[in-house]
Amino acid sequence: MTLDPTLSQIRDGLRPFRRRLWLRRVVRDGTFSLAAVMGLELALALAARIVPLEWGRVAAAAIPLLGALALLVDAVRVRPTLGETALALDGEQGLRDRVSSALEIALRSPDLVEAPLAAEDAPTAEGTATEDAATYARFVRLQRRDALSTLRAADRRAFRPRLQRRPAAVTVVLALLLVPALLLPNPQSDVLARRENQRAAAERQAEKLEKAAERLAEGRTAPDPRLDLSAELKKLARELRERPEDLDAQLARLGSLEDALRARIDPANEQRAAALSSLARSVSRLSSGQDSNPGGDPKKANEDLARLGEKIDGMTKAEREALAADLAGLESTARQAGAEAQAALRNASQALGRGDAAGAKDALGRLGDALARGARNVELNRDLARTANDLQDARRQLADAGKPANQGQGQGQGQGQGQGEGQGQGQGQGQGQGQGQGQGQGQGQGQGQGSLGGGGSNARFLGSGSSSGGFGGPTAGNKQFSTGDIDKVLADFGRLGKPGDPSYVAGTGGDGQTQQGSGTGQGTPSDAFVPYTGVFQDFYDFAITSLERSTVPLGVKDYVRDYFSSLNP
Amino acid sequence: MTEQAIEPAATRLSPEEFADRARAIEREVGRVIVGQHALVRQTLIVMLANGHALLEGVPGLGKTLLVRTMAEVLDCAFNRIQFTPDLMPADIVGTNILIEEEGGRQFRFQPGPIFANLVLADEINRATPKTQSALLEAMQEQQVSVARQRYKLDPPFFVLATQNPLEMEGTYPLPEAQLDRFLFKLWVPFPAEEDLIAIMDRTTGAETATVEHVASGADLVAMQRLARSVPIAPHVTAYAVSLLSATHPDNERAPGLVREYVRYGGSPRGAQALVLAGKIGALMDGRYNVAIDDVREVALPALRHRVIRNFEGEAEGITPDAIIRSVLDAVPPPRVD
Repeated sequence: MTLDPTLSQIRDGLRPFRRRLWLRRVVRDGTFSLAAVMGLELALALAARIVPLEWGRVAAAAIPLLGALALLVDAVRVRPTLGETALALDGEQGLRDRVSSALEIALRSPDLVEAPLAAEDAPTAEGTATEDAATYARFVRLQRRDALSTLRAADRRAFRPRLQRRPAAVTVVLALLLVPALLLPNPQSDVLARRENQRAAAERQAEKLEKAAERLAEGRTAPDPRLDLSAELKKLARELRERPEDLDAQLARLGSLEDALRARIDPANEQRAAALSSLARSVSRLSSGQDSNPGGDPKKANEDLARLGEKIDGMTKAEREALAADLAGLESTARQAGAEAQAALRNASQALGRGDAAGAKDALGRLGDALARGARNVELNRDLARTANDLQDARRQLADAGKPANQGQGQGQGQGQGQGEGQGQGQGQGQGQGQGQGQGQGQGQGQGQGSLGGGGSNARFLGSGSSSGGFGGPTAGNKQFSTGDIDKVLADFGRLGKPGDPSYVAGTGGDGQTQQGSGTGQGTPSDAFVPYTGVFQDFYDFAITSLERSTVPLGVKDYVRDYFSSLNP
Repeated sequence: MTEQAIEPAATRLSPEEFADRARAIEREVGRVIVGQHALVRQTLIVMLANGHALLEGVPGLGKTLLVRTMAEVLDCAFNRIQFTPDLMPADIVGTNILIEEEGGRQFRFQPGPIFANLVLADEINRATPKTQSALLEAMQEQQVSVARQRYKLDPPFFVLATQNPLEMEGTYPLPEAQLDRFLFKLWVPFPAEEDLIAIMDRTTGAETATVEHVASGADLVAMQRLARSVPIAPHVTAYAVSLLSATHPDNERAPGLVREYVRYGGSPRGAQALVLAGKIGALMDGRYNVAIDDVREVALPALRHRVIRNFEGEAEGITPDAIIRSVLDAVPPPRVD
């Protein structure tokens, strides 16, 4: 279809104006969009100062993007048609609807759109419909010519982009309000940081609990109670991940399980373990005549007992009585190792005294079994204790994460000192430094616990710092005293020296009395005194076990190993 | 019933000739009528639209002189009818009279003063409604019926009626149906002082202003036909309709003044008047298209007699012009930004 040339020229002439009109509309709507974005940002900033909005940053970033997207869509939508451009041009430059009329009439009379029109001077019958049609067509053509000439004379700078005063003013005001709303410290930031720490801590503790669960379940078969404990730990880990914000409930669950574990732990486990080791060493020495089992391995002791039983038949009466006496001398140790071991030992001694070789063999066999079962119980208790400690760690980490934020700009100091006193041989001391903001104060407490003959120590110190912040940066609240890197090196001081902890080494008590107090005890000398060569291996083993903790730095591990190497008798 | 049709010879005009003729008519009338340019222009618009005008103004403002001068300038047959309470319809349209001829007596139609190209119905509101209604057929259909005989009026045919707004006693206000048949109701304003001085000079001196014929009745018919051929853009027509609609109190765009004080708004004839007058105004200005401003310029004379006020409106003295102005404010020209 060929358009009337004049009409085509009008359309072509309108296109530059259409672009300018389009730009004006985009600028106009852009001003509105900017005002809307500013308004939303300000509302969001104010809301974020009232309630903690975890999605606040995302929303703050999304609002301008949405505004830009809306403007883009709007820009497409407001692209003017040529008809709109003609109307706008007529209105803007006072063209008295010349251009818009020409275009609209062309659309209304499509038969006249196609060029060329009938010649103006074509003869028509006067007063007829044909004449009227010709007159109409002549007018249409005249209108187009008039519109084209008007369009050519129109100011090419029409439709200058202009800012809408009111939205522009609103935008400026909102921007001015937004600046302090963004820059002034937001008290909700600490809440958000605490929540984030809480989630991160929950995730970390969940991972630890899962590792502990895997460790417990590794190589176990039913009905080992560690399998049930492993399942329970996995469930706790899952709940930690699913509801990290429910801090109180999580702490309660962890605490409940920890309490249950603690209730199951034999408080004398390590004492029993030491006794078992000592007993195992002793019976091995009796069997081989030398210190063939310095580690106190129950298996080795069992084998040695079996060999000892085989030797009984070949022993003289005197040798049997001597063996019976030696066995009787171990009874106090056996008593600490367990009633079963004590009974078996006593039976063996008595059988030897009676000359009952078969009874002695049987008793020695039962003694070996008792040693093995005791060792398994010790291992179970240690696993339970370790798990309880893991739970305690998790609880502490979660509780710390739930406290007000302690990181901030500025510097502060906190100091704490702890000192422990122990009855017997326990001592504890701690020192720490922390960072906070402004001013810091520290307090420390120390506790020590010990028992006569057993070297347990416990030192715990707690430091707290208070701080106050000024304008210009996030505030830091009171800071829990932190032991800094020492936290990574040392196990929780709160459990050191307590029964159930690997660091606790029970002294072996003899028949003598246990005395408490400082200075030299007045109890009768007994087997409670153990030369360090006798317990060195136990300390060494437990130190190595503690070093396996992932939180112990390598340098410290080497340090500990070197220390024990230097003490190795 | 028979018809007697008188078809004038039509001439073909160009838009430029239309504008030239219109300007010539205005100029020639202006030789007699001092000032009153808007009135003269609007009166001419009425005539070029083949309509009728109701001129309202106090006595002595030149209403009759304007109409008579128009007739002289246009070289049209002119009759003046002075409406009085005892004027009968036959006095206007004519009657059959008995005459004696060689063959005997017979009735012959004696045309009344309505048979002219330009009829001045002076003080039309003084005649009874019965007599006023005698004009209805002539104004709408440009014919009269007497004794079951229909007589066509020669084109062009205009009725320019006057009425005095002051002396209302003993008058018969025109019914709405008849008012609606007037294309414009023109308000004849009091002349400005400088115009009055010119009037004094012209009317109190020895010389009397004379006018020349600058157009014929056939020219007027041709101009009427040309004006109707002017294409009008849809948005302009839509605007005229919007204006008319806004005079109705139940229309959503009606301003408060209309909602409160108008009983009935304008009839569709009002929109026709706006469009047709707009076309003529555009041609008179030398344009080929009708602008929205053309419509707005004729809104007052085209609508003021079509808006019927309610009791409150009349009691509070709300003038139709105030109402139409509020409508113009409420319906601004379509603006595209």
